[in-house]
Amino acid sequence: MSTQPTRNALLGLYGATLRAARSFKSYNFRNYFLQRTRDNFRSLLAETDSDKVSRAYKQAVGELAMLKRSAIVNQLYAGPPLPIEVHGAVKGGV
Amino acid sequence: MLSRLGTSAAANTALKRSPKLAVAVRRTFVQPSGAERANVVDVPPSFKNVGHFTPRADMLGFKLDASVHEKSATQKTRPIYLDMQATTPVDPRVLDAMLPYLTDQFGNPHSRTHAYGWEAEQAIEVARQHVAALIGAEAKDIVFTSGATESNNMIIKGVARFNQDKKRHIITVQTEHKCVLDSCRKLSEEGFEITYLPVESNGLVNLEALDAAIRPDTALVSIMLVNNETGVIQPMKDIGAIVRKHRGVYLHTDAAQAVGKIPIDVNEANIDVMSISGHKLYGPKGVGAAYVRRRPRVRLDPILSGGGQERGLRSGTLPTALAVGMGEAARISKLEMARDHARIKQLSERLLSGIHSQVDHVIRNGDPNGYPGCVNLSFAYVEGESLLMALKDIALSSGSACTSASLEPSYVLRALGAAEDMAHSSLRFGIGRFTTEAEVDFVVQNIVRVVQRLRDMSPLWEMVQEGIDINSINWSQH
Repeated sequence: MSTQPTRNALLGLYGATLRAARSFKSYNFRNYFLQRTRDNFRSLLAETDSDKVSRAYKQAVGELAMLKRSAIVNQLYAGPPLPIEVHGAVKGGV
Repeated sequence: MLSRLGTSAAANTALKRSPKLAVAVRRTFVQPSGAERANVVDVPPSFKNVGHFTPRADMLGFKLDASVHEKSATQKTRPIYLDMQATTPVDPRVLDAMLPYLTDQFGNPHSRTHAYGWEAEQAIEVARQHVAALIGAEAKDIVFTSGATESNNMIIKGVARFNQDKKRHIITVQTEHKCVLDSCRKLSEEGFEITYLPVESNGLVNLEALDAAIRPDTALVSIMLVNNETGVIQPMKDIGAIVRKHRGVYLHTDAAQAVGKIPIDVNEANIDVMSISGHKLYGPKGVGAAYVRRRPRVRLDPILSGGGQERGLRSGTLPTALAVGMGEAARISKLEMARDHARIKQLSERLLSGIHSQVDHVIRNGDPNGYPGCVNLSFAYVEGESLLMALKDIALSSGSACTSASLEPSYVLRALGAAEDMAHSSLRFGIGRFTTEAEVDFVVQNIVRVVQRLRDMSPLWEMVQEGIDINSINWSQH
């Protein structure tokens, strides 16, 4: 039985995870992980069961480390951007 | 770059000055090159501005260029990927799980004498459990292969050949993947009898026809769960119940497009053998799995003979990293299935409503209650391939990747009863875990524009607008 992480700890982890997700170079991965982080942490912050929160917190710490590593790999081998990322995207096609 | 220039120029001048020396003195491994061969090259006057480097004679016409990688990153764009039935990107979490086994933990999982082997074996067993958990099976039922094509070949040929003394009949469906159909064709050359069941216009197999087709000498019924071109989901539970009524007939399903996307339980659906692909569920390419039921035992003749790995069904050293990647992909798919499915459904509806609201004469091929991540649309009076050519910012396919090189209309759509012109004008939209709303909107916007443009050029479209029935025209008259 571990003690419940404080709200500040949760918010700190939330911010760090968002930063890690934002550092993905690939548009699709970046957006997916940003959205997923938001969804996960919003439900986590609303959760009242302290046991669940501490378990989810532990898992989220592991995921943050994984996300940081993955983002580095993703940056190393990033390809060109998608047309929707380019400002004033040139319309594809004929 | 400067150092590279310096050395090449130095070597060049050294060769010019003393050609004999260069030939006579052969360097061995320990002999250092003498000081007399060292050469100082002047820095070219323009070296500070690398972009304006003047080519010299000794560069033999080669250009100094920024690396292709950097250049393309600033100038070109990659098309939006909407072909998730062909393959899916490797989830970064999957790659992260794989990397240790591609670097430090390189052991052979079948080595029983040292820790390198043990750690690899343990990782594979964990992966096996994840794959098994995803389909409601036991870990021991899972056999890793090189992909769903190998699984299909192994299962169809294996089951047929093992039982060939008593059973000479196999049932499959016309809309199956090429590798199933081709395995069956091979077996028919070996003297097996194959029944290719037709499908109804929505792509579903007729259950009564299936029941009627099963004979006492039927060895195997092979029906794919989710169609790769139309997304049609076959009623596997009903099919399983029918096949179970006949003793000794095995049910195989090619679930490459289904695993990790829709819930599957092999026991609920009475599936005896199943093919799974790694790269369709955000795992790596080159790995797949076969589910082979142990109770009641399904026996099959292995295609690969060798060291007897994987219960003797598939010999050969397992690719640890790939198997681990597939296991992690299965684990993530199980966790995220509900979320992914809800999201994909939402995006698919966004795509369909966007296209339908702005373009007429668009027909959806296959059962609308199929897998939402696979939307097959026919744009009447527009040729599918020319549509693809015009949509260079979107990576789409008109059908299966295996047949995307040919201009033949899809045999799957023909089996659904689509007219030839509709089969020619089809596009398959594959939506996946990483697709976003912005991408779907971009695609809709472009499709609408291009279809409109191509139709404006088409004389057929003009005739349709004038109210001429295209089918009443006799084209061959001159």
